[in-house]
Amino acid sequence: MLDQIPTAFLFFAGAIALFALPQGRLRGALLLIVPIIAAWQVWGLEIGSHQTMGFFNFELDLMRVDKLSRIFGLIFCLAAFLGNLYAWHVRDTVQQVAALLYAGSAIGAVFAGDLITLFFYWEGTAIASVFLIWARRTEGAFHTGMRYLVIQIGSGVILIAGVALYYRDTGSIAFENMTLGSLGTWLIFLSFGVKAAFPLLHNWLQDSYPAATITGTVILSAFTTKLAIYALARGFAGTEILIYIGVVMTLFPIFFAEIENDLRRVLAYSLNNQLGFMIVGIGIGTEMALNGTASHAFAHILYKALLFMSVGAVMFRTGTSKASELGGLYRTMPKTAMFCLVGAASISAFPLFSGFVTKSIILDQAAAGHMYIVWLALVFASAGVLSHSGIKIPFFMFFAHDSGMRPKEPPFHMLLAMGITAALCIAIGVYPEPLYALLPYEVDFTPYTTSHVVGQLQLLLFALLAFGILMRTGIHPPELRAVNLDADWTYRWLLPRIIRRVAGVVGAIWNGTLAFLGIRIKSIIAGLHHSHGPEGRMARAWPTGSMVIWISVLLGATLIVSFFG
Amino acid sequence: MSDHETDPSKLPALGRMLLWVDKPGSANKIFWALAVVCGLLFLADFTFEKHGYFDVENLPGFFGAYGFIMFTGLVLAAKGLRVLIKRDEDFYGDKAVDREEYPESGLDKVDHDA
Repeated sequence: MLDQIPTAFLFFAGAIALFALPQGRLRGALLLIVPIIAAWQVWGLEIGSHQTMGFFNFELDLMRVDKLSRIFGLIFCLAAFLGNLYAWHVRDTVQQVAALLYAGSAIGAVFAGDLITLFFYWEGTAIASVFLIWARRTEGAFHTGMRYLVIQIGSGVILIAGVALYYRDTGSIAFENMTLGSLGTWLIFLSFGVKAAFPLLHNWLQDSYPAATITGTVILSAFTTKLAIYALARGFAGTEILIYIGVVMTLFPIFFAEIENDLRRVLAYSLNNQLGFMIVGIGIGTEMALNGTASHAFAHILYKALLFMSVGAVMFRTGTSKASELGGLYRTMPKTAMFCLVGAASISAFPLFSGFVTKSIILDQAAAGHMYIVWLALVFASAGVLSHSGIKIPFFMFFAHDSGMRPKEPPFHMLLAMGITAALCIAIGVYPEPLYALLPYEVDFTPYTTSHVVGQLQLLLFALLAFGILMRTGIHPPELRAVNLDADWTYRWLLPRIIRRVAGVVGAIWNGTLAFLGIRIKSIIAGLHHSHGPEGRMARAWPTGSMVIWISVLLGATLIVSFFG
Repeated sequence: MSDHETDPSKLPALGRMLLWVDKPGSANKIFWALAVVCGLLFLADFTFEKHGYFDVENLPGFFGAYGFIMFTGLVLAAKGLRVLIKRDEDFYGDKAVDREEYPESGLDKVDHDA
């Protein structure tokens, strides 16, 4: 029976059932059980199965199950479970419902076999997720949420426009691999690119994730961008331009992350950088490269959630996520510090941690394709990841100078969520075979060779040594309370000023015209008053005098008309 | 929050063990231990034959040197970038999250000895 229901509907049913339960443990339990049931269902689904449904003249495919959609479906269920466990203490119906609808939409989109179903779920993720930002209930969060919503809904609108054009060209709405060329495919590509945070389209990510609630950010970090990665892997695998887009994505965020003060924003930049690796894998497009992308997305969702959880735990106890205000917290939050270090080691791809066994597939594929510059750039970006996520996050939060804060460890459920996630990060790193077995294609790769391990350790530890030297010499930039400009400057600062300037000019012209007309009308009235008013020349002989004049005028006119007629 | 001088016996056991890192001289020890490990990793390159895709990979210590140089370059470049793009926290006005405190209702600030 269970396999007849699209997985997304389980989450939607759960969201409705929430209202029947009182706030408290029962609700918390439901929020945990729904992802477990969904994961169990996805696990049991037969590869190659479909569930179709009529929709006007189209046949929609609500459940296209293959190995690519299954691995994303499974990790999304796992992320929903871990996120909800971390949010066990939350007693806010808005966030609880949003979390289920958001996860359900993302899973629905992953299993969508056609572009129309994809569109519905695509917009579903946008609408559900914005409530995790608004749930902070401050004016700043409201404005950020509006910006986020405009961009996310915009991505959906571009998608449906692209789908319509694509359908006109090909007569098909099937969501399969496409070739860039027609306007329709370019629009679909652009819409995926917005959600995947392509360079210059990326800023919604760094703008919104630090604005969400503590638990909301953990949930946000898993779905939207990885859905876009899935969509690109499904629709545009092997599209060469993605290699270059991906390389730029791995590089530019590491500079911004280095000088960013808000650690949740640092993680958002770091997320952007990790997406770059996945995009490069999609661009290369070989079976192993796509395996690399899928496995990296899987590992990434876990360690990124873990890092957001640890920063969130600190924020929960201290009220801030700003590096300039934190430091020395290892004394009283040592468990959180350890979990954070596991996340840091995983994202930095230290051997025996999850990032190592997944990212190296993508680097290996770039090298195997003899893309020298691309490979060099990715190796550089790997050192960059160490710098902000591997060092900066744990070091400036838990070590560095003593901030004097002595906060308690977070509540047990937060520690448990972090503990499970950390254990998974290590398990994948130590024993990657089960993950490799889930990948869409046959895996032919050995992560643990002497040269891989020594090469990676050299890269990371020499970079760490450089950090040590830069800190000892005082060259390393200090953490300062500040914001840094990025592409969002164009629409948060420049555009409002342009609009204000244009509005000023238009307003001045309008007022000027009105004033001019006002003066003209006044002078006409004054003129009429002068000639026809009580003291006017025309009024002096009024009414007989003027009547004679008007009769003579009329007579004259009649004469002229009859003369020419 | 408590002052800087916290009684170590009141800290969690794991936190007490970690206090070692703040002892005078510990940072030096960590740094030099790291330097020694780096040296060993460089020497390790001579113990096996490399079969990299690119010639440059086969140079001894390539990854170490590349990591060291690029990391330093990254930090210096980011420092330069900061000169260009750093602004005050209220740059985007007072309706931006950078200016607000996180609402207390979503927090549970508790000291370790509370």
